[in-house]
Order: sequence, then C-alpha cells, then structure tokens
Amino acid sequence: MIDLVHFQVLSIALFCIGVYGFMARRSAVMVLLSIELMLNAVNINLIGFAAFSDFAESTRALGQVLVIFVITIAAGELALAIAIILRVYRNLKSVNIDQLDSLKG
Amino acid sequence: MQLSTSITTLLWLIPLCCFIAFGLSALGKYFITRIYYICIGAIFCAFILSFLVLYQFVLSDEGVFTTSVDWIVIGSFAITWGILLDSLSVIMIGFVTFVSLLVQLYSLGYMLNDPRISWFFSVISLFTAAMLVLVLSDNLIFLYFAWEIVGLGSYLLIGFYYDREAASQAAKKAFITTRIGDVGLLIGILLIYKSTGTFNISSIIDMAQNGAISESVLTSSSLLIFFGAMGKSAQFPLHVWLPDAMEGPTPASALIHAATMVAAGVYLVARMHAFFDLAPVALPIVFCVGLVTFLIGGSLAIVMTDLKRALAYSTMSHLGLMMLSLGAGTWVVAILHLVVHGLSKSLLFLCAGSVMHGTGDQTDCWSMGGLKKNMKITAYGFTIGALSLGGIIPLAGFFSKEEILVSLTEYGGLWPIILIVVLAGVFISTFYITRLTVITFYGEARSDHAEKAHESSWIMTTPLVILSALVVMFGFILVPLPFVENYKGLGHFIDPQYKLHFVPWLSLLSIIVASSGLLVGWLFYGSNVISHKKMAVRIFPFYDFVVRKYKIDDLYQWVIDHAVLAFARLVSFFDRVVLNDALVNGTGKSVLLSSFRIKYLQTGRSYNYAMAMVIGVILSLAVWWLA
Repeated sequence: MIDLVHFQVLSIALFCIGVYGFMARRSAVMVLLSIELMLNAVNINLIGFAAFSDFAESTRALGQVLVIFVITIAAGELALAIAIILRVYRNLKSVNIDQLDSLKG
Repeated sequence: MQLSTSITTLLWLIPLCCFIAFGLSALGKYFITRIYYICIGAIFCAFILSFLVLYQFVLSDEGVFTTSVDWIVIGSFAITWGILLDSLSVIMIGFVTFVSLLVQLYSLGYMLNDPRISWFFSVISLFTAAMLVLVLSDNLIFLYFAWEIVGLGSYLLIGFYYDREAASQAAKKAFITTRIGDVGLLIGILLIYKSTGTFNISSIIDMAQNGAISESVLTSSSLLIFFGAMGKSAQFPLHVWLPDAMEGPTPASALIHAATMVAAGVYLVARMHAFFDLAPVALPIVFCVGLVTFLIGGSLAIVMTDLKRALAYSTMSHLGLMMLSLGAGTWVVAILHLVVHGLSKSLLFLCAGSVMHGTGDQTDCWSMGGLKKNMKITAYGFTIGALSLGGIIPLAGFFSKEEILVSLTEYGGLWPIILIVVLAGVFISTFYITRLTVITFYGEARSDHAEKAHESSWIMTTPLVILSALVVMFGFILVPLPFVENYKGLGHFIDPQYKLHFVPWLSLLSIIVASSGLLVGWLFYGSNVISHKKMAVRIFPFYDFVVRKYKIDDLYQWVIDHAVLAFARLVSFFDRVVLNDALVNGTGKSVLLSSFRIKYLQTGRSYNYAMAMVIGVILSLAVWWLA
C-alpha cells in the first residue's frame, strides 16, 4: 500500500539530489537539470498531498492544478535558460559556469 | 473728495517716476548712450509733481491723505502698499526731490567723463525712489522695504569705484554697520506687530495712545526702532561707516548726507514721535545718544585734514543735534534742522566736489589754500554753506539751531547744564567749519594744483548758485512772514501745535557763541595770531586720541579680530571637521571602506552563490520553525 509518506520520501530524496547537483555541478546544463529535479520534487509533494488530503471533492483538484502551473512555468524558464546557455556556449565554447565570472570586481 | 483722489494719484507717480528711470537706465544702458537724461527727466517730473502735491495739500483743509492697495492677504493678516501724506511727508518729498534734482544736474558735469555714468544715474534714481517711498509709506513693513533699498543704494554708491580697495571696503563697512541697526529695526517692527496686529503707523500710534500696548513692549520696540535709526543716521556708536562713505563719488556723498540716507533715521523717529513719547525711557536715551554724537562728531571734524571727511564728521555731529532735539520731544525742530542742514550740507559737498574737480581729485585741505582766486563761485558757495552750518545770522542754519536751543530751555530741571553743553557743541561746529573754509579757500596757495585750480563748468556751478541762494533765504521761511496771511513759520505748518518761540537773550547768546567760534577759527587758521600747530603739540595726547577717531574704529577692529573672527574660526572648524570631514566625507569613506571588505563575498563562483542560497533557505526555515 502506497502511503503519503512514500510520496514525501521520494520528494525529499529528489529535492536533495537536486540541491546537491545545483551546488556541485560545473556544467550549466547539469545545474539546469538539477533545478528541474527540485521543481519536480515539489510537484510530487503537491500531488501526494492532493491525493491523500481530506479536502472536499470540489477542492481536491487544486494540488493537481497547481502542478500544471508549475510545469508550465518550468517549461518557460527552461526555454529561456537553455537559450542563455546556448549564447554562452557560442561565446565561450564552453558551458562551464566557473568561467562566467567577468562581472567579478 | 475730488481733490483727495487727484493728490493720491499724483503721489503714486512721484516714486514711480524714479523707479521707472532706474529700470530703464539699468536695462537700457547698453542701447542708448545718453540714458542719464531719462533719470534727470524723471527726477524733474517727480520734483514738479511733489510741488503740485504741496500746492494741493496747502489748498485743501484736510491734514492727512491716505491710500493703499493690498499686497498680501492671508486670512486676517494683510500687508498693504500704502501712502500717508501729511505735513511731514509733504515737506520731505519736496526736499528729497529738490536736492536729488540738483545733485543729478551737478553730476551731469561731475561724472561726465566717467565710463559708468549710466550706472551712477540709475543707482541715484533707485536711491531717491527708495527714499521717497520711505517718507510716503503708511506702514512699517513697507517702510522697512524702502529702508533696505536705501541701504542697498548707499552700498552701490559708496562702492561705485569698486576697483579701488578702499571703496569696496567702505561700501561693505557701510552696509554691515547699517545692517546691525536694521536688525534692531526689524525686531522692533515685529514686536509691535505681535502686540497690535497691524503694521499701519497711525493705527499703531492710536493703539499706543489708548493703552493697548504694554509699557515694556513700548519701551523695547521704540528703543529697537531707534537702534535702526542710529545705524542709518550714523549715531554713536554706529557712526563709523559715515566718514568711510566718502570713498563714493562726491555727488553721491551730497545726496547721502543731505536728503536720502542719513535723513531716514531722523525721519523715522520723527514719524514715530507719538510712539516714543509714550515710552518712558526711550526719549532720554535718544537725547543722550544725540548729545554724545553731536560732541564726538564735532570734535572729530576739527582734526580731519581731508575735506570730505571733515564734512562727514560735521554731518554726524549735526545728525546728533537732530536726534538730541528729537529726544527733547521737539520733533518739528529736528525736521526743520534736517531740511536746513541738508540744504547747507549738500551745498558744501557739491562745492567740495567742485574743488576736487578743479584740483585734480585732491581732498587734503592742507594742500589747498587760496582757491578763492580761481574758483570764485565754489568759494563763495562753500562760505555761505559754512556760515549757515555754523549758525551765523541771518542764514538758514541760525534759525533752525535757534529753535533747537529754545526748545532745550523747556527740557526739565537740568536745562542750564544741557544748554551749556549744546552751546559748546555749537561753538565747535562754527569753529571747525571756519577752519575748513579758511584753510581750503583763503590765504595763500600751498601747492601747485591749488595754484592752477580752475572753476568747474556752468552745469556744476548752477546748482551751487541755486543752493546758495536758497540757504540764504530759507531761514525766513522758518519764521512767520508778515506779508503772508496765516503763515506762522514752517514749524507751525508741519505741526499746528508747534509754536515758534523767540527768546532774545538766548539768540544773543547763540550769536555770541557762533561769532566767537568764527573768530577763534579765524585766529587759529586765518591769521597767525595763535599757532594751531603749537596748540596741537601742547595738548598732544588728547589731540592724538581724537585724530585716531577716539580709537573707536580700532576698538571695533579689535572686537572683530578677537571676538567675531575667533567665533567664525570656531564655526568654520566645526563645519570643516565635524560636518564636512566626519559626516559628509565620513559617510562616503565608510561606504567605500566596507565595500572593499565585502567585495570578497562576490567570488564569481556560482556554487558559492548556490550554497549561500541553500543555507539562506535553511536558516529562514529554521527561524520560521523556531518562531
């Protein structure tokens, strides 16, 4: 029997992996993927709470609706971020974010 | 009613003429070369208008005309531009426009070769206009504006030759010294406003007479107003600017000393005389200040070797005499003396200017001598002015001085002592003016430029002749004329309550005193019976003290150096170190310094930022959890 706890554990595990990747990876693409992981961890959390909550029938879909929104915004954000990474790659022939330090004083 | 309207319309035009002339000539001097004719035309119009006003004023039975327009109205608070015409201001506008007209005509010759003649004329117009507004104003705040413009005019005229160090210093000295008095005047006006709620002079006097103003306010405000008058009328101890004001062009000095600047203080006290009457200690203080100024000015005039400076101290002395007479409660007499002295003094100054013109800007009277030979009109003009100033019968000065002396006999129980002191002052007055006249115009020429002096052009001598004639005849206007009906003297015209007294023994005494002053002056300087040099050596310590102007200027300089400048240094130290270095620059420096330290946080490594974000989120969660 799958319970709310399972959803939460999965969500926390995904989120921690995302955080680790966000901090540890050098490649901009991998950092982006880590951010996606964190977003989806949150999504799973939302879905879990929506499924197991004892809300009224009419409001039960709220969590799922919120997930749709998150996915939409994540898609937009991803498109923008990949565009930026492409421009960076065109200029530097690399996507190593350690090299993006020309603003440092 | 018809008459009243026409008078008030004319009245607005009188100062307006001069103001318009000022505006046109100040703006238009680049376009029209002989713009000063506009100024002369304007002052001539003002002169004619003021005599039309005088004519209508005499014809009408009403003694007072007023008119006003609102300027600022805020709720119940209103400032008006108002005009008050009574017998006092009607005399003053006639006098001011007349002297100003003659001075401007004279300046046409005197300033002809000056490249900045247009500016001179525009300032003279402004000066005259301000003085006209001052004497016509019906409220104190309006009067104060005019008062300040008069101060500005004097500053501009004294500093006319601003490229000379002494002139610019003298201009500053005059402005600052009179400013000290002006602050007192402003505080006095505001104090009156606070307790009466009005600036209107007649209402203030009415309220004071009805007892609406407490005695302490009366005393303090009248003393403060008198303090303003002391600054403008060069009373001791605010007299120091007057002799230095000689750095300006001589016609400007004539105007300052006769009609505009120094007359303002005397006029103000005369205008507020009813107010001063009610304040218990104000009049005795006015009297004492006047007496001290009279004696100090006279004694300083004896030792000055500069022609214009000697005349300046003589003006100061006679202003003291006017204040003394105001303090004795006989303001009418003070105004009479103001007019008479103004005529004599403008004559003397214009003659002095003519002397400077004829000798190539020399003013040291010991280097002159014998100018009578080549400058007949100037010499006779100066002699007439001097005799009038010295109070020799039958010139105008005799009559006004006589009325002052008579009024003193009614001054309390101490009058014999005061009379003796004032007579001593009169003696000094005759003595110094005789000295000045004799060593400048008579005897042998003492230098080359005195030998080769030449008379000035007709445009300069004509005002001298007019003024001389007037000084000779003016005395008879002061006394009742047998062939004019209902005319009881100018004093009676100004104030119907005033009666001319004639005390034979006093007249005799004053004639004796004045003649002895004349005689002693002649003995010292005209003949060689008594040597003035030996006399000066004999009383050298005192003589030296007087020559150093009683060390008053030195004292002020000391106070300025040691008190004012020390305080200024303290303030500037505070400003430099605390405000500038610590607060203004300190803020900038601390931001700069902290940014030098904090900038190392910006590593440029994105995982540092990511770590900071994660730690931040965890910390804020922890805070939320614990709170």
